[in-house]
Amino acid sequence: MPPTLISPSENDYIIRGVDSNIRADGRGRLDYRQVILETGLITQASGSARCRLGEGTDVLVGVKVEFGAVELDGADEDVAEIKAKRGRVICNVECSPIASQQFAGRGADDFNNELTQMLDRVLNGPQSGLNLEKLCIIPGQHCWIVYIDAIVLDYAGNILDTIFMTTRAALYSTRIPKTIIQERGDGEIEFDILDDVEECERIEGWDKVPVAITLNKIGSRHIVDATPLEELTTEAKLLVTVNKDGKVCGLQKSGGGSIEPSLLIDMVQTGRSLGQSLIQSLDEMLQREENDINLKRAQKERKLGFFAAT
Amino acid sequence: MTFQFLSPKSSSYTNKVDVDGDIDMLLKTERENFETQVVTPGEIITSDTQYMRGHGTFTTEKNQRLSSVAGVVEHVNKLISVRSLHARYTGDIGDLVIGRITEVSQRRWKVDINSRQDAVLLLSAINLPGGIQRRKTEADELQMRKFFSEGDLLVAEVQGTFQDGSSSLHTRNSKYGKLRNGSFVIVPQALVQRCKTHFHTLPCGVDLTLGLNGYIWVSKHTTQTAEELEIYSNENEEIDQENRESIARVCNSISVLSRHFMCINDKMIMLAYEASLNFLVKDLLKLDVMEVIISEVSEKMTLLKAGVRR
Repeated sequence: MPPTLISPSENDYIIRGVDSNIRADGRGRLDYRQVILETGLITQASGSARCRLGEGTDVLVGVKVEFGAVELDGADEDVAEIKAKRGRVICNVECSPIASQQFAGRGADDFNNELTQMLDRVLNGPQSGLNLEKLCIIPGQHCWIVYIDAIVLDYAGNILDTIFMTTRAALYSTRIPKTIIQERGDGEIEFDILDDVEECERIEGWDKVPVAITLNKIGSRHIVDATPLEELTTEAKLLVTVNKDGKVCGLQKSGGGSIEPSLLIDMVQTGRSLGQSLIQSLDEMLQREENDINLKRAQKERKLGFFAAT
Repeated sequence: MTFQFLSPKSSSYTNKVDVDGDIDMLLKTERENFETQVVTPGEIITSDTQYMRGHGTFTTEKNQRLSSVAGVVEHVNKLISVRSLHARYTGDIGDLVIGRITEVSQRRWKVDINSRQDAVLLLSAINLPGGIQRRKTEADELQMRKFFSEGDLLVAEVQGTFQDGSSSLHTRNSKYGKLRNGSFVIVPQALVQRCKTHFHTLPCGVDLTLGLNGYIWVSKHTTQTAEELEIYSNENEEIDQENRESIARVCNSISVLSRHFMCINDKMIMLAYEASLNFLVKDLLKLDVMEVIISEVSEKMTLLKAGVRR
C-alpha cells in the first residue's frame, strides 16, 4: 500500500536527493524503471496489453472493436459532415481499489475521470495519428467504434506514462475484421463482416499513436518516472505526449506549483527526446514479441488426429 | 536514459538451480524436516483427525483440515493454524513499530501502522522536549502539531492492545520519536523477524530501524545524543553524496529481499548489501541483477545453516 501522506523530513530528503541526482532508490533524474510488457492476453478482446513498471505499477488495457452508428450531431453542418465519415474512439480508465488506499470507495472517481479525459483528448483528435476515416464502413451510417479500456491493477507511481505505453501496445495488437460492402440496386448499401481470423487488419496509424512522459518538478529540477513518495513531493507535473516523429501531441500541466518559462522549455525538450526513445524501444519490444509468436506458430504446424491422416 | 522492455518470465523456484547450474540434491524427506510448509487457499493441510483447527483453516465433511489463506503452516502441539503472508499487522505488547500520523485529534494522534485499524498515540504517552517530566496541560494540547503533525513518521512501541484489534503506542524512550535523515521502505509484515534489538547500525554508516509492522526506516548514522538534538524537529542534517548512495543501496537491498520473499533482519540485509556491491545502485532495480543477488544470498544462507546444524 503506497503512503498517501509524506513527512517534512522525507520531503526534504527527496528534494535534496533530486538536486544531487541521487534519488531515494539510487536512480538518476532521468532514469526509467524496467518495463515488463505482454500483449494479446485477453482472448475476447480485439487487442490487449499489460505493462508492469518495475513490478510496481500494473496496467491492463483491452481494445474492443465493435460496429455502430456514426455520430450524426455536430456543432454545425461542417462538423457534422466530417463526423459522419468517421469512426470513433471511446476511452475509459479505471483504478482498481486494491491498487492503493486512495482509490478505495469513491476516492478513485475524480482520478478516473482525469485519466479518462487525458487519454480521450490525446486519442480522439488528429494528433492521435489513428486514421478515423478508415474506420468508417458506410459514410453517414455505420462505423467501427474502438473501445479502449484501461484498468490500473497496482500503483507504484507514474500511472499515466504506463497507461499510454500500454495503450500503444494494445493498439498494435488490435485486429479489425475486414468488411465487404455490397450495393443493392435500390441505393441501399449493405455490408458483411468477414469472421476469418487471418483476414484481419491493423488499425491504420497505430504507429503514429503518441506516448506520454510525465515530468515532475521537484525543487528547481525535474524528474521522470516518479515513485509514490516522489509524486507527493512534486510541486507541478507536466505531461508531454510525443509521437514517433518527435512531434509534441499534447501538453498538460497539473499540480499546484508553478513552472518557470526556461524550465518549461527544458522540460518539453526532455519529454520529447525521452518519448521518442521510449517509442523506439517499445516498438522493438513489440516486434520481438511478434517474431517469437510467429516462430512458435510456425513450429506448431503439426496436424493431429484425423487431420493428420490426409 | 535508456528504456528497457522485458517479457514476463515465470520464476524458476520449483527446481532450485544455483549459479553454477547445480540442482539441490537434498532428499525430499530430509528437506521436510526443516522447511516450512507453504499452502494456498483450499489446500489440504492434513487428513489426520486428531489435529484441532486454528486460525486460517477450515474443515470439510471428510474431516480434512484445509487452509483458507495463503501462508505458512504453524503447529502448536495439536493445534494447526496458517499464518497468512500478506496479512495486516496485529499489534503485540512490546513490539517496535514504525508509523505515520494520519490524524491529530483530542489529546491523541491516529497512527497508520499497517494494521486493520489505525493505532492511537496518546498525548500522555510521549516525551516532552527537553525531557521534562510533568503532567500534560491544556497548553500542550493546543500545540500538539508542534510534536507530531499529519504525515510525520515516528518509531514507537506498542503499549497495549484493545478488544477490537487496534493498539495504543508510546514513545517514552529516548530511542523512540520522530524519524529524520533517511528514506522509508515498505515490506510484507510477515518478513520482519522479531529480534533482540530492532535498531541497527550497519558497517556502511547507515542506521536501520526495522518496524515489526513491515515499515522500515533507513537513515544516515548520527552520533548525536538525544539531549543535544531537538526531538521534534523536522530539519534534516546535511547528507553527502556517499551517504545518500549507501542509504539507497540498503533500501534497494531490502526491496530485493522482500520481492523474493526472504526474511528480513540485519544479517540478511548485510548479506544482500555485500552481494550488491558489484553493481550500481540503480541497477539493483533490474530483475536479472536481483536474481543474481538473491542466489548469492541464499547460497550464503545455506552455508550458514549447514554450519549451525553441524
